[in-house]
Amino acid sequence: MTDRLPAIVERVPGGAILVTSLDALMNWSRSNSLWPLAFGTKCCAIEMLMATGAPHQDMSRFGAEVARQSPRQADFMVVAGAIVKKMAPRMRMLYEQMAEPRYVMATGSCAISGGPFMYNSYTIVRGVDEIVPVDVYVPGCPPRPEAFFWGLLALQRLIKQGETIGRPGIRRKPVLAALPQGITIEDIREEVRRVLEEENVVDVAHEAHAKIWTERVKQWMAKHLYKP
Amino acid sequence: MDGQALVQAVIGLGLGARNREKVDRPALEVSPENLPALAKRLRQDPALAFDMLLDHTAIDWLAEGVFELVYNLYSTVHGHHLMVTTRVPRGSPVVPTVSDIWEIAQWQEREVFDLFGVQYDGHPDLRRLFLEDDWPGFPLRKDYTDEDMLRLPK
Amino acid sequence: MTVTIKTLNDLVRPPTAADSPMATQEYFVNMGPQHPIAHGSLRLVLRLDGETVRQVIPVPGFVHRGLEKMAEHLNPRQIIHLTDRMDYLSALMNNWAFSKTVEKAAGIATSARIETIRTLMAELQRLQSHVLWWGVLGMDLGALTAFLYGFRDREIIGRLFEETIGARLTMNYIQPGGVMYDIRADFAAKVKELIKYLTRVIGEYDILLSGNAILQERLRRIGILSAERALSLGCTGPVLRGSGVPYDLRKVEPYGVYDKVEFDVVIGTQGDCWDRYCVRIEEMRQSIRIVEQLIDAVPEGPHMVMKFGAKIKIPEGMHYGHLETARGVLGVLLVSDGKSDAPQRVHFRSPNFNNLWAITAIAPGWRIADIIAIQSSLDLVIPDIDR
Repeated sequence: MTDRLPAIVERVPGGAILVTSLDALMNWSRSNSLWPLAFGTKCCAIEMLMATGAPHQDMSRFGAEVARQSPRQADFMVVAGAIVKKMAPRMRMLYEQMAEPRYVMATGSCAISGGPFMYNSYTIVRGVDEIVPVDVYVPGCPPRPEAFFWGLLALQRLIKQGETIGRPGIRRKPVLAALPQGITIEDIREEVRRVLEEENVVDVAHEAHAKIWTERVKQWMAKHLYKP
Repeated sequence: MDGQALVQAVIGLGLGARNREKVDRPALEVSPENLPALAKRLRQDPALAFDMLLDHTAIDWLAEGVFELVYNLYSTVHGHHLMVTTRVPRGSPVVPTVSDIWEIAQWQEREVFDLFGVQYDGHPDLRRLFLEDDWPGFPLRKDYTDEDMLRLPK
Repeated sequence: MTVTIKTLNDLVRPPTAADSPMATQEYFVNMGPQHPIAHGSLRLVLRLDGETVRQVIPVPGFVHRGLEKMAEHLNPRQIIHLTDRMDYLSALMNNWAFSKTVEKAAGIATSARIETIRTLMAELQRLQSHVLWWGVLGMDLGALTAFLYGFRDREIIGRLFEETIGARLTMNYIQPGGVMYDIRADFAAKVKELIKYLTRVIGEYDILLSGNAILQERLRRIGILSAERALSLGCTGPVLRGSGVPYDLRKVEPYGVYDKVEFDVVIGTQGDCWDRYCVRIEEMRQSIRIVEQLIDAVPEGPHMVMKFGAKIKIPEGMHYGHLETARGVLGVLLVSDGKSDAPQRVHFRSPNFNNLWAITAIAPGWRIADIIAIQSSLDLVIPDIDR
């Protein structure tokens, strides 16, 4: 219903403003009642899913209390824990079962880049962004619950600024919701360029491997993902 | 039983056990053919009574061309430990199973099969355990190569 | 030689049309890797006859990161941080098991203060782990309130760890040669307050869950594991002690300062889920007893006997060390060729791997709801199974 509503409302005189207000209302209500999918494989699950639901750090303050076990009922997937090749197709299946608009938060260094298991492990997937598109990255090993809430608030800002009910799940503009005060994207780009050129910390072999790696993950998923 | 006395007692059983050097606990080496008989005797003899197989694993000695299979035994009755090892050639690593003597061996042997490729003769359910059934190769071997594995840069 | 290699598809088959429509058909249901009570990512394939379970086929491997292969490229201090991530609920005890093995192999002697701090930290972690287990058991069986109570108390113990160690979950604290940071001056006072609080709170747990008729119905006489079967299945820890075998490494082969403190080994009589539950509740009380005896008598001395950058030389040969974590016996087999920094082979005898397979022996004959009770009472942590 919500995707037909803008077309109906816009025909009413003054309706365009109403759509924007409806956007704001829908975004506000969506972001304040996110339902996480409890998908924890390892240690991060204790911190990110269980401890944050617990009394001392209470996730329900932010509206994200209802952690559903079924992806059909969940809004966003908290990837808490390392993903290995055996688990990767199942995780993709869970992601595809979630209904739009859906978000993914990669918590913990295992989910961001493979973490402590990045080198010399024969099964680890180095970063879940090879498998699902990630919206928020929360670094740490495991991240503190406060860091997780920073990520959750960033996700809420992402939704409020970027979503539209006209086309849910597609953001109108890229949102940098989590930059600290006074820092712009240009500052970050400049610093990365300076570090690369002056301190020369890029491992060329690593970069070359990264390109092959992405291709191999795609092949692996194509082979093992169950298509009904 | 004390460590050295235990080793001597088991060697004295005449089932082909020899002392294994360079281990920090009583350890024996036996050939794969004698392993089931020795294991059964170790379990059933009341003076030895090794009722727990705490651990079973394998070590890959690439230079010598053998896999060394290690069985860590413990007796809750007498409170003594024993390590039994056996060597199989890397080319054809087949060894009899002990899963009819200690039930946990069924899965410990599956793990060794999965990671090293050692095959257990008489095992009821020899399948891969951690990796997919069609995973190429056996990862914990020293000569395992995998393009996906990223090495630490120097 | 009869070596047949199978795949999972050989065991799992759909019911055939030849079965009579009046008889019951067995069918396979997948309790997949993502499941509310999976405690991680464990796949259980259940062969069901109606609601009764006929066979449980656990399929592990969904968190298999290959720690043992990774450890062949790391030096002993780096391997400690990998041990944290196996059974992360007893991370300090995992660290201690590896440190102990390296110290015995390399001949490093630690001081009395180090051993006392290690014992104190291990017992506090055992308390923390059992409290979490209790909360999660309640949650699995439907009592969500228990989860909230359990985590509240887990955080309170965790704050103590955070002040001393700096980490909440993956500790990386007990290193070969000592501990990373010394305990603070107010550690003893805080621990005494904590003990008073925990003694009262464990009484609350008894009132909340143990005395509850529904919980007792769900745990009593369910999932009986006899002592002989438990020994043959290689179970250790509260699973084995619940079946009546008094095998506790802290008494049988004392390490740390366990030989200087008085505590009892808790065993059960029948080996059902209720016995395993009671063993852990009582172990919490015994842990409090140990902490009470040690907290006033921490001797003076260094907290680390090695320089941080010093290389650890492990002589050639096989070295084995083990200790009792919250879930069972964790053993470390360290094989070194005497030349290089990194070991030739590291194998972790993980307690959860050996306890997992008990479910194939206990579960048949019970209903699906009982599987959940049985799995909770076994207290498995899946990354430890897969390593």
